[in-house]
Amino acid sequence: MNDKNSQKIVDIIQNWARKHSIWVLAYGTGCGAIEIPPTMTSRYDAERLGVRGAATPRQADVLLITGYLTVKTMKRVIRVYEQMQDPKYVIGFGSCTINGGMYYDSYNTIKVLDKYLPVDVYINGCMPRPEAVLSGFAQLQKRIAEGRANGAQQYKDNLEWYRANQKKIIPNWIMPDYNW
Amino acid sequence: MEKKFLILQKNTQDKMREKATTLYIGPQHPGITGNMMVKVQVEGDTIVKARTEVGYLHRAFEKLQERRNWLQSFTLLCRFCVPEPDPVEESYARAVELLEGREVPERAKYIRVLMLELARIGSYMLWYGGQNGSLGLYTMGQWSVGDRNYILDLFEELTGGRVYHMYIWPGGVRRDLPEGFADKVLRTMDYLEKRLKDYDDLMFDNTIFQKRTQDVGIISKEKAVEWGVVGPVLRGSGIKSDIRIDDPYEVYDKLDFIVPTHEGGDIWSRALVRRQEIRQSIRIIRQVIEQMPSGEYFNRIPNPHKWALPKGDAYARTEATRGEVGMYIVSDGGVHPRRIHFRGAAYVHGITLLEDLLIGENVADISAIMNSLGTCPPEIER
Amino acid sequence: MMKELKENIVKRIKANFADAAEKNDFKDNRLDFSVKRQTIPSILFYLKDEMGFIHLSHISCVDWLEEGELEVVFIVWSPKDKIKVFVRTRLDRDNPVMDNVDMIWRQANTYEREMREMFGVQFTGLVAPDEFLLEDWQGPPPFRRDFDTAAYAEKTFWHRPGREDAQDVRETIANRDGEEIPDFAKKYSR
Repeated sequence: MNDKNSQKIVDIIQNWARKHSIWVLAYGTGCGAIEIPPTMTSRYDAERLGVRGAATPRQADVLLITGYLTVKTMKRVIRVYEQMQDPKYVIGFGSCTINGGMYYDSYNTIKVLDKYLPVDVYINGCMPRPEAVLSGFAQLQKRIAEGRANGAQQYKDNLEWYRANQKKIIPNWIMPDYNW
Repeated sequence: MEKKFLILQKNTQDKMREKATTLYIGPQHPGITGNMMVKVQVEGDTIVKARTEVGYLHRAFEKLQERRNWLQSFTLLCRFCVPEPDPVEESYARAVELLEGREVPERAKYIRVLMLELARIGSYMLWYGGQNGSLGLYTMGQWSVGDRNYILDLFEELTGGRVYHMYIWPGGVRRDLPEGFADKVLRTMDYLEKRLKDYDDLMFDNTIFQKRTQDVGIISKEKAVEWGVVGPVLRGSGIKSDIRIDDPYEVYDKLDFIVPTHEGGDIWSRALVRRQEIRQSIRIIRQVIEQMPSGEYFNRIPNPHKWALPKGDAYARTEATRGEVGMYIVSDGGVHPRRIHFRGAAYVHGITLLEDLLIGENVADISAIMNSLGTCPPEIER
Repeated sequence: MMKELKENIVKRIKANFADAAEKNDFKDNRLDFSVKRQTIPSILFYLKDEMGFIHLSHISCVDWLEEGELEVVFIVWSPKDKIKVFVRTRLDRDNPVMDNVDMIWRQANTYEREMREMFGVQFTGLVAPDEFLLEDWQGPPPFRRDFDTAAYAEKTFWHRPGREDAQDVRETIANRDGEEIPDFAKKYSR
């Protein structure tokens, strides 16, 4: 049963199941979190795509970084990301995750999210409309179906590079230095 | 046998009372109103000590504004208070007009009042969702946040953006009302007024809501004045104080509305005050549409790259959903501002008042109290 | 009516505090007093207890780098008389020390914590945890005017490089996907 064809069929079924049930962690990290309640409620209902909120990192599939990240929040987000279990994805929401947005000269926000956490899909806008958010989720579903949404694997393979970047901006590193 | 069991039980209860556990109601939590942390020490189920920790959203706006000129600061200002950006723009525009001595045409004042009251109703719709969601009643959030989209549609037609508008500039408003806009506003107000009856049946007639909010989080009258409380929290403790009546700005002295107050000081009274204010806002909007004069809508500002304000300082404040929103600006005669300092209502409610109010309450009520005080972390840390 | 109220307040303050310099030429309901820093607790007590200014609106700090001074401003409001009073004082920039006023108004505790962290003003007798908004911050007080935030951000964080050429995005996409730019868009292309 372990030949290539049956593995391909197992992958197809697995990806189909995963893409229709994406649970978002309830964490509003920045000002983009104001457009998440309209996306999840009656008009732009996201639950028809299988997207609903999850309360703890152990039960969530996707970490939605809504907007800018300050250095203080960055420490907690890294911890939360490492507590999430596979399969997991990261969506960068808003233009602040792409190049710093309008806080490009602030001493407290990070400018490029991709250096510290592996991002699968970006949704641009300031802030993105609920329709743009749904289109972002649809894009994530397409990547999962093709088998290309492997940010988590990339993080595990290049852990030293990500850690070096993270330790450069967070001076007081008190998190466990484990590897899987 | 039974006696030994009772002695064993009493010993464990005593041991539990001696040991206080620290809980981090942390930045990632489905029950808090944003990205902040409340560190509580509990004994059993009762809170003994509470500490608020903020700073997760600090972007240093006031430092960034020293590098922008007076008009570019607008793009930064909206993001101070995320659920309700219009009162912040209004405070800034009025402070700049006070400093420079710039006149605002009558029509622009009426349009500004229209925007502010629409933003107030929209923010109360979000509050409905948050307050009920903290007690486990999730239907209300689905209804009210869904209805808030109709107000955001109006904003989008007028200004181009759903959440951040950048519409109220010093000297007036940025563009005039389009054709047929007044009819759309009146139709939305009729629809919302019908929905308010449904919300009452679902929320205020609900035994669960009544039992969980009465006599919880009580703020007495003396305490409210001592601790500098503002907004619906102050009105829910029985003191009639509203900036729209005490220190009127724009055209509020020509409009007819009442300021509701309630004795009691618990979460139930504050919810009643907010519910009555929605009806007053709808009343104000109808009067504004009726009385709106025609004429100029913008006293045009000069070239923003060369616009310098005279030396001095000014402080302007507005009544937002949560209370007093104030903006203090200092100018040294140049093109860039010297200092812009913003004061939100949550700055006072969220740190000193919350830490004192939580002592003696249950852990399960933390979320309800935070929603009722209106703590909004972006306002606290800018 | 407002003018008489304001004159009354000015007379009473100047009778009790000899070093208060006032400014009364504002059109709206505002008064301004400048005092020395040692008088601040007593003048605030007097305004709150005897004259009815029970609401503290704001405490702010401004950095006058060229004059070498920090200015602290208190804004209080009287709900009965409906008048705003600004009380201001100047501190030496190299050693800014002030008295703690949070026994008069509790919410002053938060304002003072922030001023201590962001400007470096020391308040004698303030009891509050050290860190308020910043965590493990090792630089100078950030809101002072000699701290350059853009240079710090450039040095600490990695920035994404921008586009080198000023090419119109529509042309780039049209060339890449083989699409035709419509006529109305050609009029606005650079």
